[in-house]
Amino acid sequence: MKNFLLFYKSSSISGKISMLMIALVFFVAVFGTAFSRHSAFVPSDSAFVPPNTEHLLGTDDLGIDLWAQICEGAKLSLTIGIFSALLSGIAGSFIGIICGYYGGFFDKFVMRVSDILIAIPSLPLMIVMGVFFGAGIQNIIFVLAVFSWTGPARIARSKVISLKTEKHVLVAESYGAGIFYLTFRHFLPEIFPVVMVSFIRLVNRGIVSEASLSFLGLGDPTAKSWGLILNHAISFKGIYFTDFWKWWLVSPFAAITLTVLAISFIARDAEKFLDVKL
Amino acid sequence: MRNLGKKILLPILALSMLLSLSACGSKTGDTGDQESKSPVESSQANNDREEPLVITLSGGDCGYPSPYLHYSRGPGSFKMRLVFDSLLEHGEEGLIPWLAEDYNISEDGLTYTFKIREGVKWHDGEEMSPEDVLFSFEYQTANPPVGGISTALGKENNIITDMTIDGNNFIVTLSQKSAAMLNNLGSVRIIPKHIWENVENPKEFTDEVCGIGCGPYMITEYNKEQGTYKFEAFKDYWGQNQEVDVIQFVPVSDGILAFDSGEIDLTGITPDVYEKYAHSDEYKIINNPGFWGYKMGFNLEKAPALQDINVRKAIAYAINRTDLIDKVARGAAILPGEGYIPQQSVWYNKNVKAYEFDPEKAKDLLDGKTYDFKLTISSSNDEVRMAELIKLNLADVGINITVESVDSKTRDSMYKNGEYQLILNGYGGWGGDPELLLSQYAYGAIPGYSNEQINKLCDEQLLETDQAKRMKIVYELQNVIADEVPQLPLYNTTGMSVYRPAKYDGWTYMFDHHETTHPKISYLAEK
Repeated sequence: MKNFLLFYKSSSISGKISMLMIALVFFVAVFGTAFSRHSAFVPSDSAFVPPNTEHLLGTDDLGIDLWAQICEGAKLSLTIGIFSALLSGIAGSFIGIICGYYGGFFDKFVMRVSDILIAIPSLPLMIVMGVFFGAGIQNIIFVLAVFSWTGPARIARSKVISLKTEKHVLVAESYGAGIFYLTFRHFLPEIFPVVMVSFIRLVNRGIVSEASLSFLGLGDPTAKSWGLILNHAISFKGIYFTDFWKWWLVSPFAAITLTVLAISFIARDAEKFLDVKL
Repeated sequence: MRNLGKKILLPILALSMLLSLSACGSKTGDTGDQESKSPVESSQANNDREEPLVITLSGGDCGYPSPYLHYSRGPGSFKMRLVFDSLLEHGEEGLIPWLAEDYNISEDGLTYTFKIREGVKWHDGEEMSPEDVLFSFEYQTANPPVGGISTALGKENNIITDMTIDGNNFIVTLSQKSAAMLNNLGSVRIIPKHIWENVENPKEFTDEVCGIGCGPYMITEYNKEQGTYKFEAFKDYWGQNQEVDVIQFVPVSDGILAFDSGEIDLTGITPDVYEKYAHSDEYKIINNPGFWGYKMGFNLEKAPALQDINVRKAIAYAINRTDLIDKVARGAAILPGEGYIPQQSVWYNKNVKAYEFDPEKAKDLLDGKTYDFKLTISSSNDEVRMAELIKLNLADVGINITVESVDSKTRDSMYKNGEYQLILNGYGGWGGDPELLLSQYAYGAIPGYSNEQINKLCDEQLLETDQAKRMKIVYELQNVIADEVPQLPLYNTTGMSVYRPAKYDGWTYMFDHHETTHPKISYLAEK
């Protein structure tokens, strides 16, 4: 908590605003459904009601309240963002530690695999995997993690390679310390700040990827996610010649853009605060 | 300072990711330099007629326009029909003689004589002969083309006993009368014998010559990946002049945007943008007849609970179809006939029973029981939205729906193979000859469903060649179907199309079809 306050104080204005923004998104995601008067799934008014006091962001083509859908989408986006980042962050760090500590064939093999994963454009492959495994939150998280573990793994590996020649680590080893002891006692505390920054970025990547996948119609078609609202709005025939885009298209777009932007600013400040270079 | 620049880069990157994301979603092909003439220029082109008249329409891959290679949906088969003619053609009012100059049905209704037109040339310059006609029938009976070939009565009972040529006459003899046979015989595509006679496996015959027909247009360019086509008028065509010299199909992401910028010459519009085009002489709006529709298919084998007629009726009562029309079709649709035949068809029975939206009645019919079904849909926006509403409607009466969305080609093959419980399917051709009731309802057309009375009436109406008597049977058939609900028609779309009359004003409709870009006669001089 103290660290967080320090971080908050050291942040730039944009970073502070961003943190408020993310706090707001969190709040909306957790309490959103209680927060909005209407359901995100059941039509509550006629179609295309412009924003008013009853419907803060208006309604969509089925007459479903858009604010409620944005709240519901925040839940989905954050869940996918955070869990995919957690999964890839944790798995990636441990893979990186093992590679860095032992080296040898396993290290070479894993690093070449990660080279391949970095070189392949991930969106087309994610589309293929999305189709293959089918729609569903778990699958999207899994697919995202498969493509995102390489970042944390490389960071952890290079850190461990430099750490294992440090004197205190060598001394610990000479007293018989194994990889588990070293990992928890010496490696993790050093790696944590760096991986933290990469974690924040992975959250962003998760949110954008989920939006793109559901925008392309690969998510659960009846779920409420930002990407899917965008998808429905854009496939509405002649949307640009009607007034509907002003609320139907703009609100999910703003939600995605603001969230992603805010997280980026936080990542930038975190980098400075934790004094790490990626 | 350099560091700052790097960090500002990140949000910009994030933004550009978003932008590239939307670029992925819209299929923008290289349509940039194609036909973006202003209306003024193009009307001049029309007046002088020095430049060829090029009509550009919204494309998408529908397979190669050959009888064995095109996709089975409307946009695929009509492109093939531009290239391949048949004995009769569908006109605005009814069947018109085409490759057959004249035809004659014997009094007993068993012998059909078609007088084959002379001087018809194939696209490769060879002369078409009655031999080719006979060959086409024999070859396609042995190797059914994409849409199948209807020479049977009932399901498998082939009633053609003999096909022969006598001079310029092509004579078909039947073992039984059939009301739909003229249309069926008249629709068979005529293919050149000199190209096809040695082809063993037509579905794998992809040589370019498989696109040689004797129709008014030749296929000159086709790109499967981009979904582009180019059809050019066939100079030596026997008949009516082609008004349009080149018909081309280009991929567009948003039809109305593309029409507005002049990339394409005709597009379907919704009532939301009607006002934009309604009050200008530059545009003309035509209404499509309601012969295209959505239905919900029931699979009684995969979902045995549907064998209970009350469950099917409950679904019919529980789904608010008026709401679907208002919201999904934006009002541009009409309620379907419960007996499948759409309201605008001449065969429609006005007194057929109607299932009005009545959740209470549905609940009564279900008697407190709950059911779980899986609904298969294609990932098109309309169907996804429809599924959302249907799911809510049915949940209200105690039927839980799990929606499974697949791409449309997968959905089509799942439908064909009966791999579904409930399925949404939208297609055209609802306004055709009532023979279609046979392929829709009778003899196991609906998996796990069989009804003696429907089978019998379907056969009877086909055997009856007296129009008035046949009408009566078809009316009764609709009553039985409405009562049984073996599948549920949802709505028939009555969309609008808009075009610029200054460029081309020849658009028309076939008497039984919903689309104006599909009929061959839309592109020819005399209608």
